[in-house]
Amino acid sequence: MKIKRKKRYNPYIPVCSMSDIAFLLLIFIMLLSLINNRKEIKIDYPEAEKPEVTQKDKNFEIYIDKEGFIFYSGKMVDFDNLEILLVEALNKNPDTRVHVIADKNCKYKNVDSVLNILKLLQHRLVSLVAREIKQ
Amino acid sequence: MIIKKRKKNLINIGDSATLSDIAFILIIFYIVTAGFNIYRGFILGLPQKDSTKIVNVEDIIRVTMSKENMLIYAGKEINLTELEGIIKERLNLRPNMTFLLKIHPESTYQHVVDVVSKVRNLNVENFSFSMLENER
Repeated sequence: MKIKRKKRYNPYIPVCSMSDIAFLLLIFIMLLSLINNRKEIKIDYPEAEKPEVTQKDKNFEIYIDKEGFIFYSGKMVDFDNLEILLVEALNKNPDTRVHVIADKNCKYKNVDSVLNILKLLQHRLVSLVAREIKQ
Repeated sequence: MIIKKRKKNLINIGDSATLSDIAFILIIFYIVTAGFNIYRGFILGLPQKDSTKIVNVEDIIRVTMSKENMLIYAGKEINLTELEGIIKERLNLRPNMTFLLKIHPESTYQHVVDVVSKVRNLNVENFSFSMLENER
C-alpha cells in the first residue's frame, strides 16, 4: 500500500500590501499631527452664510481666543509685539492679507483693538475668518 | 565570430504595480492637507486714517448693537429677519444706501458676524461698522 506523503507548504507571509499599510499609517500620523497643531489655540470659529474664500498666497493670521488673548504663530503676543510683527510682515510683502481669526464667543472690543492697529498701520487688506453654516 | 545579443532591460511590471496606489494616496494626502488651510470669511477694506466720505443723511441706516447683542433701529429692538426686511425696503428706495453698525464693546463677536454676513448677502455696497465711541 502506498502511503501518501503530505504535501509540505513553505511558510509564506504576504508582504505586497506592506507598503500600502506603511503609507496609510504615515498619512494618518501626519493628519493627526496637523489636527493637534490646530488645537493649540482653541478657537471656536464664528459661523456665517456663504462666506467667500479669503485665502491668499501670503497670509498673516491673528488668533483671538475666547478670553481676548491674541496669538500669532501659536504664541501669545501683546499689542506692541503684534504691531512689530505686522510691520515686519508687511514690509516684506505689502500684499499680505491679514486674517483675523477670532473666537465666536469673544467680545467685539478685542477684535476692534486688532483692527485699530491695522488702521494705524494703514493696512487695508483684512479679512474676518468665519466658517460656513452647515445646513 | 558569434555576436552576443544585448539583453533588453525590461521593466518588471510586478514591481511597479503599487506605484499607482502610492501616487493616489499621495494625491489624496495633498488634497486633504491643502483643504485644511483655506480660509473663508469676509474681505474688508479698512478705511484710511482720518479719511472721510460725504454721504447723504437720508441714505444712512444706523443700527446699534447693544451689550445684550440686541439690534436697535430707530429706538426699537429688532431681530435679524426684521433687519433684512428694512434693508431690502431701503435698498429699493435708495440703491446708494449706507449701512452703519455701531457695536457695543461687550457684544459677542458671533452676533457681529451674523449682521456682517446678512448685510453682505444683501449686496449692500456701503457698509461700515465700528465700536460705540462713548463706550471706548
